[in-house]
Amino acid sequence: MLGEFEYLLITTAARLGDNAYGAAIREGIEEIAQRKCSIGALYTTIERLEGKGLITTWMGEATPERGGRAKRMVRVTGKGVRAAKEFYDSVMRVSSGASWATSRTGEMR
Amino acid sequence: MTFNVFWPLVEFAARPLHQDEQDAVLGDSLEAGDSFGKALAGVLGLVAHRQLLRWRSWRPWFATFLLALPASYLLVYVSISVACTFGRLMGMKIGHWAPTGHEGFLMLLCHIFLLITWSWTSGFAVGSVSPLTLCSTLAVCCVNFLPYGMHLRNESISPYYSLLFVAPAIWGVLQGKRTRRLSLPIALLLASTMTVLTAAAWLNGALWIFNWLLICPAWFLVATARRSGGDWDRPSTSRMQRSIRA
Repeated sequence: MLGEFEYLLITTAARLGDNAYGAAIREGIEEIAQRKCSIGALYTTIERLEGKGLITTWMGEATPERGGRAKRMVRVTGKGVRAAKEFYDSVMRVSSGASWATSRTGEMR
Repeated sequence: MTFNVFWPLVEFAARPLHQDEQDAVLGDSLEAGDSFGKALAGVLGLVAHRQLLRWRSWRPWFATFLLALPASYLLVYVSISVACTFGRLMGMKIGHWAPTGHEGFLMLLCHIFLLITWSWTSGFAVGSVSPLTLCSTLAVCCVNFLPYGMHLRNESISPYYSLLFVAPAIWGVLQGKRTRRLSLPIALLLASTMTVLTAAAWLNGALWIFNWLLICPAWFLVATARRSGGDWDRPSTSRMQRSIRA
């Protein structure tokens, strides 16, 4: 099963779609999860997820704002989508009945 | 960007990373407008993690603790011994430095040849076995010099003479990193010559008994030169590097 940060990364990459690369994913994680994301943690996790076959990466184009350096693009694989869904379902199952989860669900309704 | 002046430091810190990963990481830092401290900490964290991953293989352990560390420990003493002998033959007042340092001119030449070849073969073996963890290996070997500088404080020669072996060792490391293995005839010739000269020096009382260990890297090079297949000389590469190459 995925770890919390792995889930965050996969979800953010999936949301970004074709624009998923290191800096954008990092920004997305910091914005959505309201937590700091170091480059070291990001690339370590990217490599681990790629090793598990949950994402694929390749080198993209270079842009001037990056000092002419190439981006490392990320795409979530079908296996990655299934793993993320499994994680999400597990969190939902384990959360059912918890006071914070029911009140949150109530708000959403 | 507010850290232009220090940016080369961040780039330097990222040098151990694969070129593509350097591009991705440094480009991300630039694009995000990270402060110098944040960029440097991020890069150093990643480099440290990559180094740690490489230590999951047997290679760095073998290169560091069975080759580099004992060899550098012994070569420090051999360097001092050669310096003592040279100084004494030049008429300098050198304090007694047991168990060696009392040889004649011919034995000094033999000792110098052995110092160079011991250092070179040790360096070559280290560079060929684990070329990706040389910085960590070097850092571990520096431990050898801490007690030694103190030990030599009262001696009549400079502690810097203990570093005589460093230049041929670095030469060997670079060669080993580049060529990975010697051809069998050269490796055999080198190891045999070193063994004969080590025996000659030993019989003349010019060596410490543990100096015999210093010919092990030379015979290791012979053993690895013999093999035509196998994967011992393929460096461990990270998954990212493999995928990027693919």
